[in-house]
Amino acid sequence: MGREVGIVGVGQTHHARRRTDVSQAGLVREAVNRALADAKLSMEDIDTVVIASGPVLFAAVNQPEKWVVDAIGAQGKSVVRLTSGGGAGFAGALAGYYQVAGGYSERTLVVAYDKLSEGQLQYSISTLYDPFWGREFAVGIMGFSAAYWRARMDVLGHTEEAAAIVAAKNRNNAIANPYAHQKKAVTVEDVLNSKPLCWPIKLLDVPPISDGAAAIVLASDKVAHHSTSRPAWIRGMAYCCEADNAPERSLMISEPLALASRQVYRAAGITNPRRQFDVVEVQEPYSCFELNYYESLGLCPPGQAAALAASGATQIDGDIPVNPSGGCMGANPIGAVGVIRLIEAATQVMGRNETHQIKDAKLALVQSGGGWANLRGCAVLSA
Amino acid sequence: MGLSQVAVLASAQTELRPAWRDAQHIDLISSVVTSVFKGTGITIDDVDFVIDSGSDVLDGRSISNCGFLGALGAHHKEEARVEEDGLWGALYGVNKIRSGASSIGLIVAYSKPSESDIDLYWSSMVEPFYQRPVGFGQKAALGIQAQRYLAAYGIKDSALADIVVRRWAAAAANAWLAVDFVPDAAAVLAAGEAAAPLTKLMLSRPVDGAVAILLGNEDVARRMGRPPVFITGMGTSLETHSFAERSANRLDSVTKATAMALGKSGWASAAEADVVELSGSSVVGELLALEGLGLAAAGRGVDAALKDGVNASGGALPADPIMATGLVRLAEAAKRLSAPVRNGASAPSKAIVHGTGGVAMQNNCVFTLEV
Repeated sequence: MGREVGIVGVGQTHHARRRTDVSQAGLVREAVNRALADAKLSMEDIDTVVIASGPVLFAAVNQPEKWVVDAIGAQGKSVVRLTSGGGAGFAGALAGYYQVAGGYSERTLVVAYDKLSEGQLQYSISTLYDPFWGREFAVGIMGFSAAYWRARMDVLGHTEEAAAIVAAKNRNNAIANPYAHQKKAVTVEDVLNSKPLCWPIKLLDVPPISDGAAAIVLASDKVAHHSTSRPAWIRGMAYCCEADNAPERSLMISEPLALASRQVYRAAGITNPRRQFDVVEVQEPYSCFELNYYESLGLCPPGQAAALAASGATQIDGDIPVNPSGGCMGANPIGAVGVIRLIEAATQVMGRNETHQIKDAKLALVQSGGGWANLRGCAVLSA
Repeated sequence: MGLSQVAVLASAQTELRPAWRDAQHIDLISSVVTSVFKGTGITIDDVDFVIDSGSDVLDGRSISNCGFLGALGAHHKEEARVEEDGLWGALYGVNKIRSGASSIGLIVAYSKPSESDIDLYWSSMVEPFYQRPVGFGQKAALGIQAQRYLAAYGIKDSALADIVVRRWAAAAANAWLAVDFVPDAAAVLAAGEAAAPLTKLMLSRPVDGAVAILLGNEDVARRMGRPPVFITGMGTSLETHSFAERSANRLDSVTKATAMALGKSGWASAAEADVVELSGSSVVGELLALEGLGLAAAGRGVDAALKDGVNASGGALPADPIMATGLVRLAEAAKRLSAPVRNGASAPSKAIVHGTGGVAMQNNCVFTLEV
């Protein structure tokens, strides 16, 4: 690899269902200001900027980076926008990573956001489908996701309870997260008894819809020390896709995530993820996907995600805590989530997570993804 | 740290035409993704990653890249969507290869504006609270930009018409462009007003099409059996969104992007380039780009625009596949640098490539190429 790249500053907004007090641009500015302050830098110190957000239709401003640039004082700089549906933030961070690793910049600011209160979310997602053959019966992404879960139930004999355990875990973890806005203690029973939306998906299996932004400053090994004595080094990062339409895909293991993790683990020297990682942050747009990730990331053998969840190992006090931040269940500003997960993992290995620090965390795994469950990536961060 | 050099290995494009009525997006994309490998000895299996540029708004589809992954050849590979002209996609690809993480990458950009409302594409890009409601958009901005430029430097619109004629004549000679007539200066001036003082032919013509470029590291490039076209410098800069606050009669972002690119390539000036490929959203935009690159003094872009080697492909005026135009310029420049020349003829060895995006060319990107 070219050069070492570290996360040296982080900032996120206090996410909310509706931020009527700020525009999209103002929302982005909040996260950027916090990340720059955290990195002890000003915008003048930043060489390049990557802006990431979900599909344009989410908030009805085409190529919004061209508007947002003024609010963050980045006029004149190298600015580019990446978008990749739910994984936009992660895809943006990956582009920023390569700007630094490839010698194009020393310091790159990556900011990701979505202001979902300003658009029709499920309608926007429905336009993902083929305009001739798919859209007539497309109902957002939930029906599609329910099929993934139903397949696990049919093939593996998993029960609704497996996903409910995940939902309850993440929701309860989110209570301590100062940036989350959905903070209510729930039991597995509560999840199982909540209103079915698209069976087996029930209300409490679904994250909230949020407004929020998140920013990180990436720095080369040459300049990282100006910001912190303990950066979160990116040891490997990849984001893969699968092109097949859903009927031809494996609904058990996410092939793109398995491919990405193989590549990232090789780069980072990970041979036993369950034992080596101290903490894991994943983007779970529905609770059932977290089970899929356990297997795709090799945290457990294929088919054993339900057992892993039931064992308590992924709880905040377990041996492989997953989403101590609460994940998407606490806040879900979709395009920003990839960066939020990176922030939560980075602060863990930097030893300064505000409220849910895992003791002595040195090595963290981050997962993110988007599209129609066909874009999946992961990263390894270390102290 | 020894970062790898990156070269343009090959390129492919569809014909650029006003409307590809009998082909869908995936047809255009798969056509270039298939043909870009011809004669390279490389196959899709050798490609480490795919980066694509296109617009959800023009495509009428959220995350539209998801629908095109198969056509893009991206299945089970790393894929990224840069929602800006394909030249920015190439910039990403170069960084990825330079880092050493990958050795071969495929960059694809496509456009099908014939299926879309282009004015809405632009007006949905302007500031949503104060500018969008009053109807400000690309045409208004380009018109104001042109008015100020002509007034400031006492330039007649007939001078602009001469440049347009030259570009369309070049386009007619370009086998990859659908051009069924070449206007003369009178026709350009009589073409109907788009945004005073610009006539319709003084704006870039939106066309459908796709382009693909194969990038590789030096090891791969050296095995290609012809001198590699290396990308030696890259720069990009995004101006303020507020149109009224931008500097009058110049594109500061072109100047900044050029300085960045030249700083990396070590050129003394852009004038070292034998081949200049520009993306002007209007004929005045092309002049501003030439001046921003340092190829003409302020207000003197007209003379530079008529020089040999400047937009010999025709440039963006006769063919602007929105989101792919800059990548087409890169493909054209690389082709000219790698084309064999007769004994005794002087071969071009350096090229400068420009891409743009945003209302009135808010965002600009510059590449330097060398053989």
